[in-house]
Amino acid sequence: MHWINWLIVVVYLAYVIIDGIRKSKDTDTIRAYFLASKRLPWWVVGLSVMATQLSAITMIGTPGQGATDGIRFIQIYFGLPLAMLILGVTLVPFLHGSGVYTAYEYLENRFDARTRSLTAFLFLLSRGMSVGVIMAAPGVVLSAIFGVPLIWSVALIGVPTVLYTMVGGVQAVAWADVKQMVLIIVALLAIVVVLLIEMPVRPADAMRIAGATGRLEAFDFSFDLTETYTFWSGMIGGTFLMLSYFGTDQSQVQRYLAAESVDAARSSLLMSAYWKIPLQALVLLVGVLVFVYYQFTPAPLLFNPTHETAVLAEQGAAYDALQQEYSATFTLREQAARAAADAGDETSAAGAMETFLAREADIQAIRGEALSLAEEVTGEASRDTNYIIPRFVLYELPIGLTGLFIAGVLAAAMSSIAAELTSLSTTSVIDFYRRWVKDDADDAHYLKVSRAATVFWGIFACVVATYAATLGSLIEVVNEVGSFFYGSILGVFFLAMMPRSNGTGAFWGLLMGMSVVAGVRYGTPDVAYLWHNVVGAVTVLVVGSVLSRLGGGSEA
Amino acid sequence: MPDEDPVVSEPRSTFRASLIRVFAVQIIALALLAVLQFSYPVF
Repeated sequence: MHWINWLIVVVYLAYVIIDGIRKSKDTDTIRAYFLASKRLPWWVVGLSVMATQLSAITMIGTPGQGATDGIRFIQIYFGLPLAMLILGVTLVPFLHGSGVYTAYEYLENRFDARTRSLTAFLFLLSRGMSVGVIMAAPGVVLSAIFGVPLIWSVALIGVPTVLYTMVGGVQAVAWADVKQMVLIIVALLAIVVVLLIEMPVRPADAMRIAGATGRLEAFDFSFDLTETYTFWSGMIGGTFLMLSYFGTDQSQVQRYLAAESVDAARSSLLMSAYWKIPLQALVLLVGVLVFVYYQFTPAPLLFNPTHETAVLAEQGAAYDALQQEYSATFTLREQAARAAADAGDETSAAGAMETFLAREADIQAIRGEALSLAEEVTGEASRDTNYIIPRFVLYELPIGLTGLFIAGVLAAAMSSIAAELTSLSTTSVIDFYRRWVKDDADDAHYLKVSRAATVFWGIFACVVATYAATLGSLIEVVNEVGSFFYGSILGVFFLAMMPRSNGTGAFWGLLMGMSVVAGVRYGTPDVAYLWHNVVGAVTVLVVGSVLSRLGGGSEA
Repeated sequence: MPDEDPVVSEPRSTFRASLIRVFAVQIIALALLAVLQFSYPVF
């Protein structure tokens, strides 16, 4: 990579650390450290909420998905605006007004200590692992692209993040998120501009080629429970997923607990309601444009350089034969794509498009063979989609923009990881250490413990990220278990707003909700995961309400 | 001074305005996606 690109990355990293330390002023109490003294303006919280949700996977994997599968993934966000509105009138006022540090603390105020401890423990279990995955995803890609050991790329992301999070707490994290969000949007817009300028066909023709291959299909109205991305799974399942994520996950709740008022907290969530779908559309559009760009510029047969090297070493002859076939077919497809773009009347356009699609199918067949070869040689899933954007950024973008995009990827990774670290530290200290171990210490003591907890979770995340490949099956199990209780915890919080519910109903309702989701998961494995959240939340509400009534109403 | 009840701190009209704005933006976003899908259909 050119030194100017490295310079941009280094300047960004230095700025994040220095700015984080500067923002650590006045964080000498746990209220300041964990809640920024409840002084953050709505737009800072709003950008922080969006930055937390936008991880490096969004910057690398999602455009890759746009390039291979089109923009239909966007349907998952269709329920988000509705979810934000519901949260604005339900959980946000309850949580913000109750003066708690964590969402789980509120559950003890409302129900009992066991419900609080169980939900907090489930959060630590799943988020502890997922923060490692969030770090590993860009770490693995950057290590493969730059040919450096994984531990280096993990350290590049992890060390600065732990440093500014540990020193400055939520205040430093939220203000860093604002700058990181700006950097991410600038990087994405710059790529779109460059793609449109460098594309050898007009934008309308580029869209026609993308549309013909199905990559601009945003809506699938089929009511199929086994299909992950449909309009209905997005509107119903997506609403429940977003309610769970933004309403009960401490990494998000902590953002708006730090807002200066209930109205500021609501406004910060409404910012996501306005901007999430357009932003996600932009990310996916980058991928679609990259797909069209590679119709006219030769792309590697395998985007993952590590897999390419491994296949060349072990199956060199077979790979060379595929490569030759690929090059010849690429030339034919490029000619067909140009003809489809230049076609004048409707009849010749239809013929040209038909030829182009046939050549595109040939290319996909050859690529499929190469991916099978890579999987056979390496013994692991190819995940080639995740390498499309990094390869494009490294080899096709002008000097300076490559560095800007890589800084954007680091920013996306760091903003998500920092939010996870602060929420893990807060939950560890408030819901366990202060609740069960030492409840009478002064702020200076809790502050020390909080910083130590941040460092502990940071090191834990780095270790999980470094060994992510070998921990693969364990992480999958934890993520799967995580999906069992996401909707169920949402059910507990909704139960908390029902006046006649009690702790017994909440605790056993939660366990029953998780069991039913596990039953659905293993009994009917084809049902798409978005529906699990609906099943969990509804089960908890029904079982919790019945048990509460049998037990004689509220104990709170 | 007692704490203001946060649930009713925002006037209903303000919330209704937010509701209308969010749904307006949502409908515009979905309409644009629909235009994209139907202007450049699958061949």
